[in-house]
Amino acid sequence: MADERATVEAAREAFDRDFEKFNDLNLNGASLSDIEAMRREMGEIKVRHTGKKSALAESKKLIGKVAPEQRGEFGQFVQSVEKAIVERIDSAESALNQSLSKAKTEAERLDVTIPGRRPRTGHLHPITILRQKIEDIFVSMGYAIEDDREIETDHYNFDALNIPPGHPARESQDTFYTTDGFALRSQTSTVQIRAMERRGVPIRIIAPGKVFRRDTPDMTHVPMFHQIEGLCVDKGITMAHLKGTVTEWLKRMYGEDTVTRFRPSYFPFTEPSAEFDFSCFKCHGTGRVSGEQRAATSKEIDGGELLTAHGSQLTDRCRPCKGSGWIELGGSGMVHPNVLRACGVNPQEYSGFAFGFGLERMAALMFNIDDIRHMFENDVRFLEQFR
Amino acid sequence: MNISYNWLKDLINNELSPEKTAAALTRVGLAVEGIHAFGDDQVFDIDLTSNRPDCLSHLGVARELRVITGREFPAETQSRETEATDAVPFPAILAPDVVKIEDPDLCYRFTARIIRGVTIGPSPEWLVKRLEAVGERSINNVADITNYVMLELGQPMHAFDLDKLAENRIVVRRAKTGETITTLDEVDRKLDGSMLMICDAEKPVAVGGVMGGLDTSITDETTNVLLEVAYFDRSSIRQTSRDLGLTTEASYRFERGVDIEMLDQASNRAAEMIAELAGGELGEFIDVYPNRQTRPRVVCRDISAAVKRLTWLEVSIAESVRILEALGIRNEPQEDGSHVFTSPTWRHDIAIEEDLVEEVARHAGYENIADELPPAFGAGEYQEFEGRKKLLRQRLVDLGYDEAITYSFIDTKHDGIYETIPGLIDDRADEKFVTLRDSVIEGAVRMRPTLLPGLLDSVRYNLNWQRRDLKLFELGKVFAAHSDEIGLPTEREFFGLALTGGEVLNKHLEASRPLDFYDAKGAVELALEAVGFPAAEFRPAEVSHLRAGQTAGIYIDGGLIGYVGRLDEAISNGYKFRSPVFVAEIDLDDVLSRNRSNVTYRPLPKYPSIVRDVSFIVGREISFDMIREAVIDLEAELCRHVGFVDSFEGKGIEPGQRSITVRLEYRSDERTLLESEVAEVHERIVGSISSSLNITPRI
Repeated sequence: MADERATVEAAREAFDRDFEKFNDLNLNGASLSDIEAMRREMGEIKVRHTGKKSALAESKKLIGKVAPEQRGEFGQFVQSVEKAIVERIDSAESALNQSLSKAKTEAERLDVTIPGRRPRTGHLHPITILRQKIEDIFVSMGYAIEDDREIETDHYNFDALNIPPGHPARESQDTFYTTDGFALRSQTSTVQIRAMERRGVPIRIIAPGKVFRRDTPDMTHVPMFHQIEGLCVDKGITMAHLKGTVTEWLKRMYGEDTVTRFRPSYFPFTEPSAEFDFSCFKCHGTGRVSGEQRAATSKEIDGGELLTAHGSQLTDRCRPCKGSGWIELGGSGMVHPNVLRACGVNPQEYSGFAFGFGLERMAALMFNIDDIRHMFENDVRFLEQFR
Repeated sequence: MNISYNWLKDLINNELSPEKTAAALTRVGLAVEGIHAFGDDQVFDIDLTSNRPDCLSHLGVARELRVITGREFPAETQSRETEATDAVPFPAILAPDVVKIEDPDLCYRFTARIIRGVTIGPSPEWLVKRLEAVGERSINNVADITNYVMLELGQPMHAFDLDKLAENRIVVRRAKTGETITTLDEVDRKLDGSMLMICDAEKPVAVGGVMGGLDTSITDETTNVLLEVAYFDRSSIRQTSRDLGLTTEASYRFERGVDIEMLDQASNRAAEMIAELAGGELGEFIDVYPNRQTRPRVVCRDISAAVKRLTWLEVSIAESVRILEALGIRNEPQEDGSHVFTSPTWRHDIAIEEDLVEEVARHAGYENIADELPPAFGAGEYQEFEGRKKLLRQRLVDLGYDEAITYSFIDTKHDGIYETIPGLIDDRADEKFVTLRDSVIEGAVRMRPTLLPGLLDSVRYNLNWQRRDLKLFELGKVFAAHSDEIGLPTEREFFGLALTGGEVLNKHLEASRPLDFYDAKGAVELALEAVGFPAAEFRPAEVSHLRAGQTAGIYIDGGLIGYVGRLDEAISNGYKFRSPVFVAEIDLDDVLSRNRSNVTYRPLPKYPSIVRDVSFIVGREISFDMIREAVIDLEAELCRHVGFVDSFEGKGIEPGQRSITVRLEYRSDERTLLESEVAEVHERIVGSISSSLNITPRI
């Protein structure tokens, strides 16, 4: 039995030699490749010392050859040696695996603040954004959206709108004409006529569209811009309905606390006529903005730079309404009987209101745009600010 | 218009403070934009609408205050006669010796007052101050008085040096061919036969209603004055003022309309002041009034009901009548309870009942009108194609395209460079395009037949600001002439896009790869898919503004709807584009009006399919579509689909050749196919198309 025992001892010693460097294993600071190399070596040791062809495996075969009375003791001895080896290997493996996994995780650590991988998305034009918003509101209030021709006859651009030949509005140099004598529509009111002819009355429509005026481009003028026209004709329509409708729309645009103001005015195609204003969406009609609000405004504009407070100056004149608390938006009134007649509608029987305003002006106020020409330059640095 | 608070107080006993006066005027439509102090006075800056020339004077504003305050005018303001002036009328029979109106269609009434022995000199201080308060400069006593009376009563007038008028008389007539005049501003002006002139016996001495002549004007030496106070046809003054490029305080008022019945009162007021402040003796007053106009009369059955019907406001008949009468509107109550209202001579904007309603309503106060929604009507609706256009816009935005809006008028230099989409231009028309008479942007008189020049200008603009990776799109109308001469021009909505540079990831500053033709094509496919056409066809095409070999015609159901391709080299060089630019344009109206096929569900396959890839080495004359169609044409029973895998040229492939890989899918609806039977069919298909297209499969 001594021989057999010596074989087992030899196997243990051989293992001890091979395993020596894994005693008191300290993996702190070890690199991923070091750990991987050690893990590989440990694998080899495991095969060499516990595999089918290992000395230990050979030792187990000896159990049967030992005298039966010593077999139990020898068996126990072999098992204890095997157990010790396996335990040491397992523990070293487990430590290595743990370190390996840790090192791998560390090596694959990502910078999650790098921008995500997705296509740059584009932007709708601010005019489209506003138009869609306004259309949505009016469709929900039972209006039909209409548009029509941009090149018009004098009849639709002027005559039917109660602007007869010789009328100052007609002779002004505002209108573009084609060489064939057609006018580029100078207001979307032309759609009132076209729509009434097409749909008859009663009618409720909203007409957004391009209009053209002979203005040389500058900070506040462009020769092409967008208007939105509203028309409601029915029996019993009054100015109260005009006020109610415009107010309801502006409340939905700018919030429930929005109020409107109607002032007497003059337009050829309405009688009585009124201009309408609404309480400023920024200062809520106070004409002043606090320093906080102003800082928020400047943050929006400058993309992150907070405005420093100027000592005790806590309020400032509100920009969009120029401190008045009111924003002048558009024109309106009761449809002139001549306009109704031009569309074959009896003004004794029907009455209606109409209103109109410029989208560029509205956008300029809402977004604080200082130069209206930006609207048609299509500078991407401009466009990408709107969503 | 500047209006002095103190001056108003001379005309009406107004007890409102300046601030309250301003607020009250604003409320009734005379928008006071600002108040500024001038000495002990307060001056209102009133923004008047064009229908209220009567308020271009202190008297006019005072009339509004009469309604607001309920005060009456003092007696002297009301009176149209004054005792100081000659009560004896100038004999009508002798009038033509002094004033002759040859063209009463342009000059309805003309009065002349002779004042002899005046001394021209500076105005007294109170007069200078009053003029300065409202922003007028003092010239001399006579000129200042004419200005003063205009600002007070709204009637422009002109003083001539009587001794400089040939034969001391006036002829009012149209200018004769070749006549000229040097106006007070020392500009020589050429006249034409449409312009009304105030002339002496020989020559024009003033452009009627616009500006006096220099030669006959008042100087320090003037002693005898002829004071002209007249009424001119409004549109004639407007035309003359425009033709001469000359707008004056006089022309501004005359073209909007003054009070024809106030001429004598205004003349007398000025004459009295001249006699008082410049000495002199009042002479003859000649009044020639050949063209009397009738005033509009409005029969009103129930003014209160009319106001309520249009404005919702409840204003009694009594209060309505009070407002109208205070405004100077004559009221004749009828026995049946109705009223006949006559428009006053200073108002040119009152002709129908609705006009009276406005007068009552603005004084009753728009702020008193309730906010009410009209009664429920019907369901709202968007425009027919709006829903799909919204999807199209959103699809492009998601794909990285920014929406552009460019001007509808473009330069004529683009003519003939861009090929328009068939169907837009009417070939029978002599003139193909729509042209503006003139433009405010130099050269831009062409109503665009294509969106591309505008988009390319926008690309250029962005490149100038170092934005090199660009994707832009636009939806907008294009225009073309019509062979039918009376017909309006053709208008169609097109969709265009332009792209250049590289594919940009969000917030990544460097492009990940350069954009190419297939990006443009892909965007077009997505756009068409968004509006309901997922199966557009692209066929090689020759288009003048696109580069040969990188151009496709876009077809839906066999109909050509637009083009996509790389911008032609010469056009690109013209814009100094350094990177390739790709563009597409589609007749959106055409697309949206086409029928979309309905979606029908196809049952899912019951048995798995087997796929086989095959690559061919082909020249440029062989396209993917040709291979695909060749496979389809074989109608092999088990072959269910043929698709694109890859196209490769370069290493290992002969120059001018490429390797194109397609994938064939085999499937049966009855059983699971065996590899062996697929191999047999596949081999047959590959062999067959290799010989029919004369191409070689790659081993």
